[in-house]
Amino acid sequence: MGYAIRTENLIKRYKDKTAVAGLTLTVNEGELIALLGVNGAGKTTTVKMLTCLTKPTEGRAEIMGCDVVKDSENVKRLVGVSPQDTSVAENLTVKENLEFMADICLPKEKSAAAVEKTIKAFSLEEFKDKKAKLLSGGYKRKLSIAMAIIGDPKVLFLDEPTLGLDVLARRQLWREIEALKKNMTIILTTHYMEEAQALADRIVIMNEGKVMAIGTLEELENMTGRKGLEDVFISIAEKTA
Amino acid sequence: MKRTMAFAKRNLIEVFRDPLSWIFCIAFPIVMLIIMSIVNSAIPKEAGNTLFRIDNLAGGIAIFGQMFIMLFTAIAVAKDRSGAFLTRLYSSPMKSGDFVWGYILPMLLTAVIQVIVSLVAAVVISLISDYSLSIAGLLLAVVAVIPSALMFSSIGFLFGTFFNEKAAPGLCSIIISLGAMIGGIWFDVEGVGGFMYKLGRCLPFLYATKLARAAITLNFGVKEFLLPLGVVVFAAIVLTVLAGIVFNSRMRADQR
Ligand SMILES: Nc1ncnc2c1ncn2[C@@H]1O[C@H](COP(=O)(O)OP(=O)(O)OP(=O)(O)O)[C@@H](O)[C@H]1O
Ligand SMILES: [Mg+2]
Repeated sequence: MGYAIRTENLIKRYKDKTAVAGLTLTVNEGELIALLGVNGAGKTTTVKMLTCLTKPTEGRAEIMGCDVVKDSENVKRLVGVSPQDTSVAENLTVKENLEFMADICLPKEKSAAAVEKTIKAFSLEEFKDKKAKLLSGGYKRKLSIAMAIIGDPKVLFLDEPTLGLDVLARRQLWREIEALKKNMTIILTTHYMEEAQALADRIVIMNEGKVMAIGTLEELENMTGRKGLEDVFISIAEKTA
Repeated sequence: MKRTMAFAKRNLIEVFRDPLSWIFCIAFPIVMLIIMSIVNSAIPKEAGNTLFRIDNLAGGIAIFGQMFIMLFTAIAVAKDRSGAFLTRLYSSPMKSGDFVWGYILPMLLTAVIQVIVSLVAAVVISLISDYSLSIAGLLLAVVAVIPSALMFSSIGFLFGTFFNEKAAPGLCSIIISLGAMIGGIWFDVEGVGGFMYKLGRCLPFLYATKLARAAITLNFGVKEFLLPLGVVVFAAIVLTVLAGIVFNSRMRADQR
């Protein structure tokens, strides 16, 4: 199996702020990586660089062997993104939103079936003819995630997917993510430790744009001598603070 | 192409579901047509003012209506740019051409519907006011105003790309007032002459109005039809290409 993502000393500098300070990371195909870190650690910036939404200042990054800068056209075909901010076309219905994304990401003949499948997978049947702007925040979020998945990406980026979801919806989304895991590589950012613990194959802890630790939960526990991800995270985050 | 059409469909739905676009793009031109016809009937024949006679008025209103298409294009683009939805599309396989045509095509369709509705209203008015319009002229006008529709959508697109949701509509209103004046929609700039006419000759609006009027009256003179057609087509092409370039560079700047 090859690498789904490979970055080498990836740096993003804004005018007065280095958001990502030399990220080197490889993610295997089919892996689910949880990206943890306090607010401002650089998670979203990392996702943006890997999805061609912002250009790296320095360093290199490849998605399935395609360079995110030089070969962005192919990268855009390979990735799906659910941005941190819910983003849907407000005046379109749930179904129309999904149809739209399917139309721009999939061959014509696959589009209708993908819409049906996604509506079912995300239990959106009841709302499919409702305008997106009339959905509750949580359902809008679900729609936003569904729109990232409908194009059947090879690598899926979920930036804080369960933000604003109730406990039941979060658990349901976990199951949906679990089911996707078989078909794609997933990078997920989150502030919920139990979410990372439940879903991730490996966990990456970032702080101030740098990777502080990377590994399975067990490896991180051994490294820090703490039990449970929350304690591991706190010990790593505090050490660098 | 597939992506352009998908995005155009989305934008068309947005336009059709917004009651304001029906009011401004469809109802408003008809209302103006009726009001100005009433004004016209109050003007004594001896005054020799034919500007509001239905054959002239219909062409003017057709262009006036397109100025609102410009406004709606600007609002649509500016609104999308302020939200997260467009950002998400930047990481999809959509290219800048898909964006430009995706916004402009639905507006062209709206413009065609608009001009058909306005001209049908003009026919009704002409029947009431006992002034006959040529059907061939009306049909020609539907086609002849498509270049100016493209021109106005591109101007709107440019405003929407450069300015935010708050600034873009205001700037469009300035173009609407200015364009209506020097475009000779509400009075005879050519007759008035002076600075207004000089300015009018340098901008495409006057030519758009002249072209629409010439089409309706089947006047194929060089000064009335061919020259205005050339100017408007040229302006439409330049502005559409410019829209593509500007959007592309904006897209890049957003990724910095
Ligand atoms: N466009 C920008 N211009 C300037 N600075 C920026 C920009 N985008 C992000 N930053 C800065 O880069 C740093 C990293 O931000 P980023 O959004 O990647 O953090 P994050 O880990 O996603 O945080 P959160 O958990 O709050 O979402 C922050 O200090 C932020 O202020
Ligand atoms: Mg973030």
